[in-house]
Amino acid sequence: MDIDDLLAEVDNDAVPQETRDLQELTRAWVAERVAPELLPWPDALMERVGGRIRRQIELVEDQTGNMDPKTNFKLIVIQTELERFKFLVRSFLRARIKKIDTHPLHTLSLHTSSPTLLSPSELQYLTQHQALLSQHYASSFLSQFPAQLQRLDDTAGGISMVDKPDEDAAVFCRALRDVGQVVVEGTDRRFEMVRGDVSVVRWSAVRRAVLGGDAELI
Amino acid sequence: MYGEIGNKLVQHAKRTQALAHLPPYQAEMVRAVTREVRDLDKDVAAILEPLSGSFNPSTQPATACALLVNHLCMRRNKRCLLAYHRVRSDKLEEMCWSGIDVLERQQEQAHKAGGEGSNTMGVDGNTSSLSPEEEEYVRQYSDLLAAYKGQWTDIDLTGNLEPPKDLFIDVRVVKDAGEIQTEYGAITLTKNSQFYVRQGDVERLIAQGYLQRLG
Repeated sequence: MDIDDLLAEVDNDAVPQETRDLQELTRAWVAERVAPELLPWPDALMERVGGRIRRQIELVEDQTGNMDPKTNFKLIVIQTELERFKFLVRSFLRARIKKIDTHPLHTLSLHTSSPTLLSPSELQYLTQHQALLSQHYASSFLSQFPAQLQRLDDTAGGISMVDKPDEDAAVFCRALRDVGQVVVEGTDRRFEMVRGDVSVVRWSAVRRAVLGGDAELI
Repeated sequence: MYGEIGNKLVQHAKRTQALAHLPPYQAEMVRAVTREVRDLDKDVAAILEPLSGSFNPSTQPATACALLVNHLCMRRNKRCLLAYHRVRSDKLEEMCWSGIDVLERQQEQAHKAGGEGSNTMGVDGNTSSLSPEEEEYVRQYSDLLAAYKGQWTDIDLTGNLEPPKDLFIDVRVVKDAGEIQTEYGAITLTKNSQFYVRQGDVERLIAQGYLQRLG
């Protein structure tokens, strides 16, 4: 541990929770939009952010009608901040839904093995959407197919019907702490990642570092 | 030839991806491909029947090959159908997300087509470009979407995905939209007038085409 690490720790405690949450939310949002696969649902963070948005909305509703120019100006600042927060959350949720919709069956099977992947409402959305889709396929044509061909998760014939995201897609990644050695699977390439380094690597190689908070996607 | 209609369907789907609207549902083709699959399945059964379960591929390579081709064609047709329907349902979902009332629009179109005379109609005289199954799907998907959105009322999930820059924007009224309530009092939106309003208040109206954003 060197002086940088110590400083980083001190910094972290000095920054109020709100600021850290914003940073975390922004980080989660960027990561979700860049990473090829769905990332775990940040339950505690979303809980806090949601609560704060609600409080600010109430505050704004309370204060409107107050024609004092000073509070009025403050309100505008609050509302602008509120709009930006809402945008972050909205874009974050939409990015997740998009990924869920692209690989529904894959996501569902992942969720059963690690139940923190989806939020309860996302899980509900996913299962209902999948039920709707298969019902739609069935009533459109599948029901008239021979019985052994009616499945949607068939793996016969060498091709799996369940689509997976490309985990080897390249991502831009910045190390927040010293990550140590990164090994790119399937090649004999390995390298050291030191704090502040930015590299373009396969997602599968840095996934652990990103999920552990040692690195962020950019 | 096997798979030819399936191929056409896929080409249809590919074209659909680039279009803004949804072209008519190819019910005829879907039926034809389904029929082909059923026929192939019957063929397979017919080939296998006299062999009564004691089939050895290495002694009868010709039969094995025929079976393989049939099986592959069936699977391929299934994939083509799935792809076609998936592209269309994706498109419909996208419309649901962007707040377009698909069913209403279909009715309008049908109405217009009816007014122009029936010479522009599809093969079976069906004016809607959705199949009945798709209409049902849209209806249920909108319900599902509404339910999911309902858990995030503060955020307005279907809202703008552009990062907000200004709280207030200039808008021009394109169509009369009547009176709206804002925190700063009521505004009457009459055609061709201009306002400086809060973006969050008028976002819906912009999406619906009542207002136009300036600058």
